[in-house]
Amino acid sequence: MRKILLGTTAVVGAALLGAGTASAQQAPTVRIGGYFNFFTGYTQQTSANANNVPMVTSPGDNGTGSNGTSTVQNGSVRTNKWDMRSDAEVHVFVDGKTANGISYGAVIELEVDASEGQLLNSRRNTSAKTGVSTDEMYGFIATPLLGQIRYGDEDGVLGGLMNTGVVTNFGTGGVYGEWQNFVIRSGPRTTTSPGDLGDATKVIYLSPQFFGFDFGASFAPNQGQGSGNGCIQNIPTYTCDRAITWTGATANGVNHDNYTSRRNEYQVAGRWRGTLGGIGLAVSGGYIGSGAPQDINTTGTVITRGLNGLGVAYGGIQATAYGFTLGANYQHGDGNFFWQPTVRGSRAMDQWMIGASYTIGPVTFGGNFVTGTYAGNQGNTVNTTTGAFVTNNNTAQARQQRRYGMSFGGNYRLAPGLDIVAEYTNYRIRERGVDLDGIANNGVQDRLRADVFILGTRLAF
Amino acid sequence: MARPFPLLALAIALPALAACGSSENTRANNMSDYGDDSRRARAQQIGNQLQSSGIVLFGTDRSRQAQDAAAGPGLAVNAYLWRATLDTLSFMPLASADPFGGVIITDWYSPASTPDERFKATAYVLGRQLRSDGIRITVFRQVRRGGQWLDAAVSNATGSELEDKVLARARELRSQSAAR
Repeated sequence: MRKILLGTTAVVGAALLGAGTASAQQAPTVRIGGYFNFFTGYTQQTSANANNVPMVTSPGDNGTGSNGTSTVQNGSVRTNKWDMRSDAEVHVFVDGKTANGISYGAVIELEVDASEGQLLNSRRNTSAKTGVSTDEMYGFIATPLLGQIRYGDEDGVLGGLMNTGVVTNFGTGGVYGEWQNFVIRSGPRTTTSPGDLGDATKVIYLSPQFFGFDFGASFAPNQGQGSGNGCIQNIPTYTCDRAITWTGATANGVNHDNYTSRRNEYQVAGRWRGTLGGIGLAVSGGYIGSGAPQDINTTGTVITRGLNGLGVAYGGIQATAYGFTLGANYQHGDGNFFWQPTVRGSRAMDQWMIGASYTIGPVTFGGNFVTGTYAGNQGNTVNTTTGAFVTNNNTAQARQQRRYGMSFGGNYRLAPGLDIVAEYTNYRIRERGVDLDGIANNGVQDRLRADVFILGTRLAF
Repeated sequence: MARPFPLLALAIALPALAACGSSENTRANNMSDYGDDSRRARAQQIGNQLQSSGIVLFGTDRSRQAQDAAAGPGLAVNAYLWRATLDTLSFMPLASADPFGGVIITDWYSPASTPDERFKATAYVLGRQLRSDGIRITVFRQVRRGGQWLDAAVSNATGSELEDKVLARARELRSQSAAR
């Protein structure tokens, strides 16, 4: 009797029975959230200057003048160490519940850093770096008994949703934090964080939790996101979301994080969360796999498989007690830094990360460390004329890239959502025999380093 | 080469497997149970403080309703059960009510039709959750014989029936709240 009384009150339970609970229907609410941050940074990095290299020297264009001629010419640049950065995002949340208890809604996140670079006095075909674009945008449907389905541009289950052991709850996130925005790309940047897998348009299933366990799976047909087909011309191009084979896929697919270099990406993950002896524990594991585009020669007669598909296993563990959070994660498999596919014949990726934080009153401080070995710029290629797979026999190159990152930071919470933040990060990359900074005439820079100290404030709402 | 078909089968099997768990050990995850790589989420992780649910532009702020429902201002127990118990026992004079301990004690009450019989009830609201076992009511009965009140037996069903009335009233209050 009692179970019936309250059971019919429970919104979703009654929903599955399908009758008599019209009063439980909830009209959608629309909420707005987001953040604003402001940081000043002091950056020391290798390759901060360039001498006599091809570059755009005329403000106001992107390398092509108004009459169609190239404006790229050799020049030199010096940079200083201090800078200021501001950033913001606005998130819109829509939540509702149907009469039969199904929750539904959508999340749309707008960011204002659409482009890393900018052209002052830009022409019509360029944009400012403060352009507004979407970050994640997805819809969802959920029931307590059957779980949740998300669909749209969102992280996968291992691309951030169910990972454990990634301790970033201090500073701006440590090695995965804001420091990268202060480093010029010829220096070391980017790490293989779960979120760096990107928000490719996908379908995600997330199970309910039973006995502390839950699991999930996601699938994306390619790396494209948002509306539009991705093609930059009126003909099929390598940027099209649906492109599966193109000339130069092997050479470019390993180095550029925005190429459509993953096909049929799937992720599966399982997780357990619970408490043992007063210590909160979380353990997760899973796998991300995908196919990769193939190379085709310029005349379109020979198709060659130059890239391995992505295939990375992930495991993580995290413990929380008495204000302390400790975590570690490890990932191994076919994948390069940037989560890009490797060229056939490359070494597998091994990466591990540890982190710790401590919160006492309004103060939180912590640190994290990440290191790994990756295929790097392995050097095997596909001949674009003949379509033949060409093995790199340059013995001076290590065929292995090592990356190290460590960071320490702290926050003082002035008010709910309002923090003062300080953080120091050191990041290094090494790949013997390979010029990593892309500045050809300053010698072979096979060791890159960046040290970034940032101080600022952040408001989340 | 990725093979999506086994994955498709897995995707179909996963919800079915999830549905197999008993409902007592199964609970829905909240949105906050999942990682979020946005800087807003990262900022809200700091210090393990409660996440802001944002500013409501349109619709009803149900997060505040939920907070009020779980334990309204000044209440340490479930507000629906607390108010339902007060409503149900309101026909009797109230001796004491402790919203922090969740205890309601009535004074002796004699129905007008039976002046030689009187009742007293003690109710315990047992927690913050709206559960069927979240309320316990004990009823005491005395009869007057020779000018003295003497303890008398009470049917076992009496307390149980009062509890059912409280739960029904709690359900009513919850439904009214959801419809707002």
